[in-house]
Amino acid sequence: MTFYEREINRIRATVYANRGQLDTVIGIRRHINDHFDTGLSLDALSHAGFISKYHLLRLFKKYYGQTPKQYLRDKRIEQSKLCLEKGMSVAETCYAIGWESPCSFSTLFRKKTGCSPTTFQKEQFSQYRFNHKGEALQHQI
Amino acid sequence: MKIKIISIPVRDQTKALAFYTGKLGFVKKTDAPVGEDRWLTVVSREEQDGPELLLEPAPNHFEPARVYQEALFDAGIPYTQFNVDNVQQEYERLEAMGVAFSVKPTEMGTVKIAVFDDTCGNNIQIVEMR
Repeated sequence: MTFYEREINRIRATVYANRGQLDTVIGIRRHINDHFDTGLSLDALSHAGFISKYHLLRLFKKYYGQTPKQYLRDKRIEQSKLCLEKGMSVAETCYAIGWESPCSFSTLFRKKTGCSPTTFQKEQFSQYRFNHKGEALQHQI
Repeated sequence: MKIKIISIPVRDQTKALAFYTGKLGFVKKTDAPVGEDRWLTVVSREEQDGPELLLEPAPNHFEPARVYQEALFDAGIPYTQFNVDNVQQEYERLEAMGVAFSVKPTEMGTVKIAVFDDTCGNNIQIVEMR
């Protein structure tokens, strides 16, 4: 057994020994993944996981290193990129990921990715055209 | 400041390129001669504008890099990890292609992991968030 395998066993036995807590936070994360496009709140997550809001916050942060709200925002941004790549408008994308207002969505998107949703979409389209042009050229050669 | 390139030490760049593209499914992004070596990067097929992985031949030129790489490898420690949707499926796909795993799919709290030998001197960990 290597040093790393021994470490895996040691950490699993000490840090991840509480099966009940693990099942709860994994269930909460799955719930966020499945319902990110709805008006999720800490109350709704707490209800879904059958634990108090404060316990939920503490457990999620302990096991995933970020709060449920931070995770939900990252999930929504990740999904919004897919929507924009498919050609959906900024407003359509905003509502498809469960966000309330296109304006605040654009602000968050810019903060998280460094560019506006419109710029991101334009870059994706030009990248797509470039890649396909390259493939077409390779076929010609 | 942006995270654009992450290096991974390799003994043989040609062999590394074959492994990282042929088996892992990455895509070559840049390949430019630098003396006897190459500035050689690959990217994830699903995220081609994402961070580039530089296949860096440091162990061939810098003894401490070789010693460090060997020590990590012998201890079974993966210094680099890639995210996948399903560790079990990826394990089965890679094992069928002859890739050797030192850690088979294992649940580790909120993640599932597995570790394989990249044949270039490194242990690589694949991770699935649970």
